[in-house]
Amino acid sequence: MVSFGVLAGLAVLLSGLWWVQIVSTNRYEENLKNQSFRSVRVPALRGKIVDRNNQSLAENRPRFDVNIYLEDLRPQFSREFSNAARAFTNRFPGLKIRGTNLNEVNRDARYRVASNITFQITSKLQQPTILDKARFTTHYQRQPYIPFPILQDLNQKQRAIFAENFTGVMGVEMEIQPMRIYPNGTSASHLLGYIQRHDEPASDEEIACKYYLPDFIGRTGVEASFDNALRGNAGVKSLLVNNAGYRQREEILNPTEPGKNLALTIDLGIQRAAEKALAGAMVKVRGAAIVMDVRNGDILAMASAPSFDPNVFPTGVSTVEWEKLNDENYSHIFNRATYGEYAPGSVLKILTAIACFENNVMTASETINNPGYFYEPDVLGERKILDRAPPGEYNFQRAFIKSSNTYFVHFGLKAGLRKLVEVGERFHLGESTGILPGEERPGDYPHSDNLRAWTTGRVANLCIGQEITVTPLQIAVMTSAIANGGKLFWPRIVKNLQTPGVEIETEKNSFQPGILRADLHLNPKHVGIIHQAMLADVENPEGSGTAAAVSGFRVAGKTGTAQVMKGRVVIDHITWFVSFAPFEKPRYAVVVMVQSGTSGGGTCAPVARKIYEAILKIEKTKSASSATVANRD
Amino acid sequence: MYEAKLNERKSFLDWPLVLALLGLMFFGTAFIYSASFANESARTLSWFKQLYVKQIIWYQIGIGFVVALCFFDYRTLSRWSIIGYWATILFLILVLFIGTGGVSWGARRWINLGFFQFQPSEFAKIAFIFMLANFLSRPVEELRSHKLFFKALGMIALPFILILKEPDLGSALVFFPVGLSMMFVAGVPVKYLAKFFGGVGLVIILIVVDVLFVPVDSRWQIIKLEPYQRHRLMTYFGKDFAAKDATPTERKQAKLLQGARSYNVEQSLISVGSGGLTGKGWRQGTQYSLGFLPRAVAHNDFIFSVIAEEEGFVGSVFVLTLYTVVLFSGIKIASQARDRLGKTLAVGVVALLFSHIFINIGMNIRLMPVTGIPLPLLSYGGSSVLCSLIAIGILQNVHMYRRSY
Repeated sequence: MVSFGVLAGLAVLLSGLWWVQIVSTNRYEENLKNQSFRSVRVPALRGKIVDRNNQSLAENRPRFDVNIYLEDLRPQFSREFSNAARAFTNRFPGLKIRGTNLNEVNRDARYRVASNITFQITSKLQQPTILDKARFTTHYQRQPYIPFPILQDLNQKQRAIFAENFTGVMGVEMEIQPMRIYPNGTSASHLLGYIQRHDEPASDEEIACKYYLPDFIGRTGVEASFDNALRGNAGVKSLLVNNAGYRQREEILNPTEPGKNLALTIDLGIQRAAEKALAGAMVKVRGAAIVMDVRNGDILAMASAPSFDPNVFPTGVSTVEWEKLNDENYSHIFNRATYGEYAPGSVLKILTAIACFENNVMTASETINNPGYFYEPDVLGERKILDRAPPGEYNFQRAFIKSSNTYFVHFGLKAGLRKLVEVGERFHLGESTGILPGEERPGDYPHSDNLRAWTTGRVANLCIGQEITVTPLQIAVMTSAIANGGKLFWPRIVKNLQTPGVEIETEKNSFQPGILRADLHLNPKHVGIIHQAMLADVENPEGSGTAAAVSGFRVAGKTGTAQVMKGRVVIDHITWFVSFAPFEKPRYAVVVMVQSGTSGGGTCAPVARKIYEAILKIEKTKSASSATVANRD
Repeated sequence: MYEAKLNERKSFLDWPLVLALLGLMFFGTAFIYSASFANESARTLSWFKQLYVKQIIWYQIGIGFVVALCFFDYRTLSRWSIIGYWATILFLILVLFIGTGGVSWGARRWINLGFFQFQPSEFAKIAFIFMLANFLSRPVEELRSHKLFFKALGMIALPFILILKEPDLGSALVFFPVGLSMMFVAGVPVKYLAKFFGGVGLVIILIVVDVLFVPVDSRWQIIKLEPYQRHRLMTYFGKDFAAKDATPTERKQAKLLQGARSYNVEQSLISVGSGGLTGKGWRQGTQYSLGFLPRAVAHNDFIFSVIAEEEGFVGSVFVLTLYTVVLFSGIKIASQARDRLGKTLAVGVVALLFSHIFINIGMNIRLMPVTGIPLPLLSYGGSSVLCSLIAIGILQNVHMYRRSY
């Protein structure tokens, strides 16, 4: 009877053990993992960005932070707590600390320890800091296994002091964090874009982490467009924690994969020159300047004014600063070169000319009389279109260099709306240039299958570049195509993506230069006439773009001054200068746009001249240095 | 001549029992070592202060007691049982006044002797077994009288009430299975036992119902348990701590409290369960080394979790097998005993050991509510080790003197 009872009892225990250890073991193992492991996301080193000559545009500089390791401070925490508890019992004999009170005493003790250490170290580093209690408490509660930063970005002197005084001190460590810097400040800022704190993982990462170390995401420019490549793949480390959440051991589950380096097509020298020239156009300039290689569509410089310093973003921008940067009328962030949509004005007369030539309604030699305005009652009724060009006889070239509205409206209307729109469409106006996904606007240009709203009056406006909008980049692409005789390229901004440590030659991720978007099949005769006219615009003393002339480098161009209307009132002007050079064998297209300028010739042409001069200088030093290299060989 | 006699006695050792005991002591040492070495501060103690060394010392002392016990016939010893019984009763009264609680919620269970935390309730169990066995070893006719039965019940009730006062419900309750099985074997009529058993069962059911379903402060709550005892029972039966009409804040607090109260059981279940079939290996367990299984209990009340986590189902079954050998050796000894006294003594010891094993392992896997019952020979603790070995010494004694008439 007794043995039967004992046997039954043992059988119950055995089956209980079997149930817990064999049948439900997975569940308990899961519980075990949940309570004792924390996976922490470790961001990868962000890739560098360089210009076409490998000059740095964005890189990572080591930032030295002082962190405290909470698990190492536990003995100090408990010592401080005992002191506090003793003080408590001395003050209130017979009372015991328990419950919420106990937690509070504990929390205060921990804060005192951390705060003392913080103050002691920061004072020694000549930057006394009071530890923020809320920040510390939150960190302690949420992630005690992650080191707590007490001072960030030590300067060289502070680093030396720390190394001398605190090396080997238990629980205090100086650690290096990569920090994004843009060594050229505001240069190419719109193109590069900026990054901001963003700790959440990409949706496709394998391991869901509960905790993230600081990571950054590109918000605009190439930092945004190539964010995935630049960011690399974040790693995961797994921390073994104890019941109080302190770190015991760590193990790397997934190593980080550093981001790729990005080489842009821009030339930092030309970029700087373009920015400088643009900034000198007028006071508080708002505008854009683009330099493009007409032979292959490479963007050599792309400037937008005013610009911003992307260095301020990683650490966070205050609301006041942010609002200032985004001022409605003077936005620093706004990239005018790709986002700005402006009426092209007389610059579009180049396309009007092509339409007229191709429809055989105009020849280069035919002249018309310009009374100083356009007035043809059987076409436009009683409307007069004023002409800035003085009254007189005009052939094509004279009309072009003096930018006669009368001439181009007269012939443009003869070519007809459908033809005008068709030419623009061939140049892909009204469409994205494809430079960076999501980083540009398409402009506003009519579609040839929907022209009902276009009255003759509006068509007249279209002939002289009103009624539509374009981006400076679209105009740069257009100018390049005119310069090279009709090849419309996809503009290229990224030269290649390099995996760190891998030679460029073996890298598949190269972006081919000179990818043709469209062959425009322009008649070389028409192109020749237009080239001559553009050259005359700069070189003929009567031309509107004479301010762009560079000695020893023949520049061909076209000015434009578009009106910004509000109702029937002109409220502003958009001034343009489009150009290419050298005339004989065009290599560069330079497009300058300035808002509220006085005139294309007066405001923008000098900017283009300065850019060409800088390009010449850069070319000279390059050939000189390659000559020395050649000599040395 | 004396020498020869000793040799003769040695040959009477019950070898399976001895081997099983050695195995258990080896396991006990190894896993107390494992459990205590996870603790940094424990690791830095000098070797003679290490828990496993202390445990070995207690084993030695216990074995010394066993050897000493073997020199006296159990009949001689039982003559002293009345003195032993009343002495432990005295200590049980004393502990209520000068006892210390250790980690247990305001309970007074130990008497601090400086070098040794003396736990009278453990020794009371031994003394009680002797007392009852002695009391029951009388002609069977006498055992049929009501008066005698109630006297025996009184013997159970006195230490039961005193230990309940400490309070230590687990240890107190152990007296019932031990007493009942001894009376059964001695020949007390089954109908008495059945009635009593039924009565006790009814009372226990009433207690549980009362605790679980009657609001705390109503006048229908007849049995006032300590809050922690109430909570342990509620945890065991998986009952929500919060009352039905609780406000959200009360509910939240109750939930927190429930988490805290059921923490040890949850963690020991995770330890045992995550051990799986073969375990994680000696000293590879994470549950106690990371402190999830509280360090204060890992080496005593919850030592079985440590073994089960590190050695898995295989290890647990092995431990269970060792205990089975011990228990069935005891039952064999009881059946071979020459008189009713020996038989009753042996059965008492078996019942005591079995109750401890069942309650402790059961509590590690949530078959039983959490009580402070140690696992014989494996749990760390002087009183427990001494008493377990003395109990086994009694078995050995009954075995040795079985033929000396």
